Amino acid sequence: MRKQALSGILGVLAAFAIGALVLALQGFNPVATYGALLQYSLFSGSGFTATVTRAVPLILTGLSASIAFASGPVNLGQPGQLVMGALGATLVGLFVHLPSAFLVPLCILASLLGGALWSGLAALLKRAFAMDEFIVTLMLNFIADYFALWVITYPLFDPSASTPMTRPISTAAWLPDLGSVNTSVLFMVLAAVVCWLIMSRGRSGYEWRMTGQNSLFARIGGCKVNANYVRVMLVTGALAGLAGGLMIMGGPHRFVKGLGANYAWDGIMIAVVASNGISGTFLYGLLFSALQQGAIGMELVTAVPSEFIDVLQAVIVLVVVAGRVSLNMVFDRLATRRKLKESAG
Amino acid sequence: MARDVLIDLQHITKVFPPDTVALSDVSVSFESGEIHALVGENGAGKSTLMKVFYGLERRDAGDIFFKGAKVEFRTPREAISAGIGMVHQEILLIPEYTVWQNIVLGAEPVRAFGTIDAHKAREAVRQRIEEFQFNLDPDALVGDISVAARQKVEILKLLYRNVSVLVLDEPTAVLTPQEIPQLFAELARLRDKGHTIIFISHRLDEVLTLSDRVTVMRHGKIVGTSAASGLTKEDLARQMVGREVLFTSRRQPQEPGEIVFRARELNCNDTEHRARLRDATVEVRAGEIVGVAGVEGNGQFELVNAIMGLASMTSGTLDVMGKDITHADILTRRTLIAFVPQDRGKMGASVAASILEDAIMTHHVLDPRFRTWRGLGLDYRHAAEFVDQIREQFTVSMGHSSDPFRSLSGGNQQKVILGRELLLETPFVLMDQPTRGLDVGSIEYVHQLLLNLRSRKRAVLLVSADLDELFMVADRIVVMCQGEVVVDLATDATSREEVGYYMLGGKEAAHAETGS
Repeated sequence: MRKQALSGILGVLAAFAIGALVLALQGFNPVATYGALLQYSLFSGSGFTATVTRAVPLILTGLSASIAFASGPVNLGQPGQLVMGALGATLVGLFVHLPSAFLVPLCILASLLGGALWSGLAALLKRAFAMDEFIVTLMLNFIADYFALWVITYPLFDPSASTPMTRPISTAAWLPDLGSVNTSVLFMVLAAVVCWLIMSRGRSGYEWRMTGQNSLFARIGGCKVNANYVRVMLVTGALAGLAGGLMIMGGPHRFVKGLGANYAWDGIMIAVVASNGISGTFLYGLLFSALQQGAIGMELVTAVPSEFIDVLQAVIVLVVVAGRVSLNMVFDRLATRRKLKESAG
Repeated sequence: MARDVLIDLQHITKVFPPDTVALSDVSVSFESGEIHALVGENGAGKSTLMKVFYGLERRDAGDIFFKGAKVEFRTPREAISAGIGMVHQEILLIPEYTVWQNIVLGAEPVRAFGTIDAHKAREAVRQRIEEFQFNLDPDALVGDISVAARQKVEILKLLYRNVSVLVLDEPTAVLTPQEIPQLFAELARLRDKGHTIIFISHRLDEVLTLSDRVTVMRHGKIVGTSAASGLTKEDLARQMVGREVLFTSRRQPQEPGEIVFRARELNCNDTEHRARLRDATVEVRAGEIVGVAGVEGNGQFELVNAIMGLASMTSGTLDVMGKDITHADILTRRTLIAFVPQDRGKMGASVAASILEDAIMTHHVLDPRFRTWRGLGLDYRHAAEFVDQIREQFTVSMGHSSDPFRSLSGGNQQKVILGRELLLETPFVLMDQPTRGLDVGSIEYVHQLLLNLRSRKRAVLLVSADLDELFMVADRIVVMCQGEVVVDLATDATSREEVGYYMLGGKEAAHAETGS
């Protein structure tokens, strides 16, 4: 755990150094660029709140991927599950009229169910026809995308808009701002805590992890691996769905064309960088969110294009993932040398 | 007998990261034209020493001399070109290629323009086969020939490259008892032609039969080198383990109790609808160990899977303590059956997990003390205490319970699995090859555990490929052949020969003739 934190920190620092080199070679001032990046993501009030809000879908889809990958199912359907979750929340927000105290939880529930429905479909196909969730969840992403596009272009189209989008959802379903931070952040943190409890302290999490590592061992040990598979798919789908729901309820308050965009794919990338750890996913989610948020400000005040952040993210992924292995080798070599000295002395 | 020293290893030290000392100041020399056995328990450092010599592992200190000159092989290729070849435990050949193609691969004779001179290559291989009397067809596909023959191909591959020193890492591990004498005759012939053979093994009988000199290793150190002619099996075992080892049964006479486990007329097919179990019937009583013998692949695996609920049966019934478990799910079976599978890494544990995570499997659902938060949570504090209990009761030598399972030695991994299963305190215990791949000390420990279970009135079904083991601990031996339980013999009233006869397909009628 401590080793992983160290290799993560070193990896990120090394990635920033490589990024600085790239900037310098292009004739930009790395110090000014990174300064602007930090200024607009962390060290200004509005920048910070925007970073934290942006982190909501990143972390939730990241947790979804982390839990799935650690437990065995290769659920790559976060983009589609996010869309379906958003659609669920939108439907409830448009057509159910209740006071806020009831409508908000109902919308949240609808988003969880929307995501779980989509991943559950993949789980069903796996259980009934042995179709690999790896390919099914990927394909379902396209279906979710075009289905949502159809919904917002025809049945729920807002006639006053020029591009496909729904009417705004009932204001009772809007998530209020708490000071300057949107309450969607609270739901995300709550979800992350629950995920951590399930995986690190829960009986299910133990069984899921063991199944992910060696399903035959888990099965002969008495774990219900088939039921667990379905549960993992439902939970991870629900997490991605929640990301979509919170985006609607906290953000534009309506389903707009292109909602979600790349958040879910970034979430999968974050899970990989965090090697499927819950706390790692949370921290890397914040980091990537800060980079993406800071990129906008960086482009404003320096001449560096925001695409530089894509480069930086890619470098971080490569350096951290590769560094984890090589740093372990360095640790091993140090321990070896210590042992040699001991046995010589 | 004064031979020249051919290979001299001086003060070799090797540490496996992070802190496992595999070899500690090891010095040993091999003479030209001898068969030199390197023996020791698993993890004693035999293979590591040879891998260091062969350029497969880096060493942290020490020097290597070959033919009097200091050498440094950085890769096996360099070692081979110096005349040293090693045959590994796993056979690495291309099944779709013929014997001669496999042998010349990487050193093919070529014509102008780099095309392979197939005729010349095949002829060269044929000559080698004849010269060493290896009894191989150079045109056979490697995928079609037996494991023993594949091993010969591996050896020929090196001889084709003109090595004069052969290092064999546990060559008999993959062979059946009938195939071993032939290999030994071939190795002796090679020695007589002037080759030097270094032979890694932990089977003591073989070592004494084959080798001229024996070097014993223990815990990464050399215990000593001596001529094989003056040694006994007990001497070697004592040197290897560091104390006396008993090779005879300590089974006390004991009346078995009630029938605990009953499998009746089990039938089971494989995916191609071939019968793998035919009306297999086995009973085990309390306080009794029943051994299942048989040539591998005669239904033992299917029997175990049927008992555990991993394979579906076409007919038959299973019950434990009078409870019908024929159609029970695995968890229900686990309340009655402790199970030690044959493959630790596949079924026995997750090697990527921590010791703690592997140790609490099954207990985490069956034992209410592991539950917190109304069954939703897992009590990791209790789990840590449980690991301590296993560590103490089963003398596991291990670091912290959060260390990875793979950091344990094979023997200690098996102890953790045994501890986990036996602490389930079930009336019936099923063990599938529980000593496979373990060292002498650990095997002795497992046998003692089995006998303890017996005296505590547990019913034990022990599947084993090792007849010595069955004769040492089992009360009865049932023999499986082609999916059938062909005979049920009382251990004290039978012999290895009789069991072997049934294993190879002998029938009851002949049994009456030979008499027992």
